[in-house]
Amino acid sequence: MTEHESKQVNAEENAGTTRRDFLKLAGAMVAAAGVTQFIPSAKIAARAASEEESKHQWGMLIDINRCIGCQYCTFACDAVNNLAEDMRYCVVTTETTQSGDEFFLSRPCMHCEEAPCVHVCPVGATYKRPDGIVAMNYDLCIGCRYCQIACPYEARVFNWKKPIKLSPQSPTFGYPEVPNRPRGVVEKCTFCSHRIDAGLERGLMPGVDSQATPACVVACPTSARVFGDLNDSESPISEALANAKVTLRLREELSTKPRVYYIPPDPKAENPFQGS
Amino acid sequence: MQTTIHRPKLQIGKHNVDIFPYWVGLLVAGLLFGLVGAFTVLRDGLQVTGLSNRVPWGLWISIDLSSIAMGGSAFVFGVIVYLLRLKRFETIGKLAVLLGFLGYSTAGMVLLFDLGQPLRFWHPVVFWQPHSLLWEVTMCVVLYLTVLVAEMAPIIVEHPFFTDHPLYKKFPVVKKAASAARTIAHWLHKAGPALAIIGLTLSLLHQASLGATYSVISGRGVWFNQSAPVQFVLSAMSGGTALLFFLGVIVFRVMRPGTVEDSALYDVARLSGGVTLLLTYLRLWDWAVTNYYSFDRNISLQTEALNAVAPYSLSFWIGQALLPIIAGSVLLAAKSIKNFRYLMAFAVIPIFAAILMRWNYNFSGLIAAPTYAPFTPTIIVNSYAPTWVEFSVAALVISYWLLMFSLAIRYLPLKAENER
Repeated sequence: MTEHESKQVNAEENAGTTRRDFLKLAGAMVAAAGVTQFIPSAKIAARAASEEESKHQWGMLIDINRCIGCQYCTFACDAVNNLAEDMRYCVVTTETTQSGDEFFLSRPCMHCEEAPCVHVCPVGATYKRPDGIVAMNYDLCIGCRYCQIACPYEARVFNWKKPIKLSPQSPTFGYPEVPNRPRGVVEKCTFCSHRIDAGLERGLMPGVDSQATPACVVACPTSARVFGDLNDSESPISEALANAKVTLRLREELSTKPRVYYIPPDPKAENPFQGS
Repeated sequence: MQTTIHRPKLQIGKHNVDIFPYWVGLLVAGLLFGLVGAFTVLRDGLQVTGLSNRVPWGLWISIDLSSIAMGGSAFVFGVIVYLLRLKRFETIGKLAVLLGFLGYSTAGMVLLFDLGQPLRFWHPVVFWQPHSLLWEVTMCVVLYLTVLVAEMAPIIVEHPFFTDHPLYKKFPVVKKAASAARTIAHWLHKAGPALAIIGLTLSLLHQASLGATYSVISGRGVWFNQSAPVQFVLSAMSGGTALLFFLGVIVFRVMRPGTVEDSALYDVARLSGGVTLLLTYLRLWDWAVTNYYSFDRNISLQTEALNAVAPYSLSFWIGQALLPIIAGSVLLAAKSIKNFRYLMAFAVIPIFAAILMRWNYNFSGLIAAPTYAPFTPTIIVNSYAPTWVEFSVAALVISYWLLMFSLAIRYLPLKAENER
C-alpha cells in the first residue's frame, strides 16, 4: 500500500461512511430486494394452480317471494353443523323494501368469488376451493377474527365457547354430519361441502339428489332455495336463473361477486304465504 | 467514563424520599393483577372478554396499535443516527431504540392474548399468505422486533456489570460469558447501518399496513380510506417522537445532565412538531375528501350514528385538528421558546392524538356497522364494554412497559459512543 493509498483509507475511515459500511448497506438492500422478488412469485404460482376451476361451480338462488320465514333452513343448518343458537351460519331476518313492505331475507354465506375473508386471512386458513366454495382449514386458523371484520355479510362466527354436545335442533332437523370445531377458531357455512363431495363420489348430483344437496335447501318447505352447478345450463339453478325476470346479489357495490342470488320481492307476484 | 445518574427524589416534609422502590412495587402489583387476567383468558378463552361477533376487536387491539405507534421514534432515529450520521443524536437514539423495543414487545404480548388460539401464534411465520395485510404486519413486527433486539443488545452491555463485577473473580465462567456478550454486541453495533435500513423498511411497511388493515375493508364505510396508511406512518412518527422528547428531557436533562445538548432535544421537539403539522394537514384533507366532498351514504350515516353515542366528530376537531395544530406550532418553535416545561406539556398532545386516532379508527367501523339489507341498508350501532379480564391484561402489558422503562433509565448508562 502506498503512502497515498493509506492516507486515502485513513481519510475514509475518519469520514462518516467507510467503504465497508457502504458495502454492508448495499448488501442489505440487495438481500431485501431479493427476498421481495422471491416471496410472491412462489406464492402466486401456487395460487394460480389452486384457482384452476373445477368443472362444477356451485351456487344458490333464494326466491324471496317464496320465503315464509319459517327458519327451517336455519334449524337444519344448526342440526347438521351442530351449532348453538348464537353460532348460526344461516340467519333469517325481516327486512323492508323501499316502499315499506316487509319480507324475509335468509342469508347463508355468499361464497363470494372475490371473498374478502379469503384475501385477509393471515395464514390462509380460509381458502377458495376449485369449485367456488369458500372453505376453512380449522387446524390453521389462529383466531385473529380479521375475516369476521372483513365479511360484509356477517356470515362468520367465532367459537367463543367450547362446542355444544348436541344442537337443540337435533334430532328434529337432522344429526351432526361434520366434526365439531375447537374453541378459538372462526367458522362458517360450507354449502354442506361434505354432502357435495360424498355425493359426487357416489354419482349423485348436488342440487338434484337430496343427499348431495345442502341441508338448508333440502329443508326448505316452499322450495325457495335452489342449489346447483352454475356451469351446467341444465342444472336447477341455471334454469331458475334463466327464468327469473330479475335477480340481485347482496351488497353488489363491493364487487365481492357472491355466488348466492336472490329473486327480489315482487309486489305483483301472487304469494300464497305472504299477505301483501 | 462512568455516567453519573441522578435519581430524582420527592421532598416530603424534611425528608428526601426516593420513590423508586414504591413505584416499582406499584408496577409489580399491576403485573400480578395482570397475570390473574392473563391466566383466566388462557384457561377460559375469549368468552371472558366483552368481545362479540359484532365487535370482534376491542381494547387489546387498540392498545396494540397504540404501543406500536409509541415505538415510532425507533426507526426515525435509526435513520438519523446510522444513516444521516448526526452524532449529536446518538445518545437520544438509544432511548428511541429502547422505546421501540418496549412498544413492539408490548404489542406482541397483548396480541398473544387476543388470539383465539394463542399456541398457534407462529402460524403466520410458517403458513404464508402474502395477500393478507395482517400477515404482512405480523411478519414485519416479528422481524423488526428481532432488529430491535439486535439494536438493544449494545445498549444493555454498556452496563458496568459487563465490564467489571465482583462475581468475575469467583466465577471465571461468568466473566467469559460477559465478554462473549460484549463481543456479540460489538458486532451488532458494527452492523448498525444495515440494521437501520432493514428497520426503516420494515417499519414503514407495517406502520402503513396497520392503516391499510382497516382501509381495505370496503364493506365498512368509514374505514375505506386511501390515505390511512400514510396517516398511520406520520402519526407514529409524530406521537413516537413527541414521546421521545418528553421522556428524553427526563432521562437526559434531569437524570443525566450534560450528556445531551439542549439544542439536540429542541431538535427532537421541532421534528415532532413538523411531522404533527404535516399529519394534521393531511387529516384535514382526509376529512374534506371523506365527509365533505363525497356523498357516501354509509359514511354520513355512520358518522351520525357515532356522534349519537360518543363525541366522535368533536374528538376529531378538538383532539386531532385544533390541539395538534397548536402543539405542532409550539414544538416547531422550540428553539425560540426554550422552556422545557412548556414544551413537555405541549408534547403530550401529539402522543394523545396518535393514540386517539388509533382508538377512533378501530372502533368507528365496528361500533357503527352497515347492514347487508338489499333495499334499505342502515347502520347498526353495536355496543362493547371491556370486562375486568381485558382491563387486567391491559394492566399487565402497561405495567410491563413502565417497569422495563423505569429499570432501564435508572440503571443503563445510555452513553454516546465516543464517551466509551
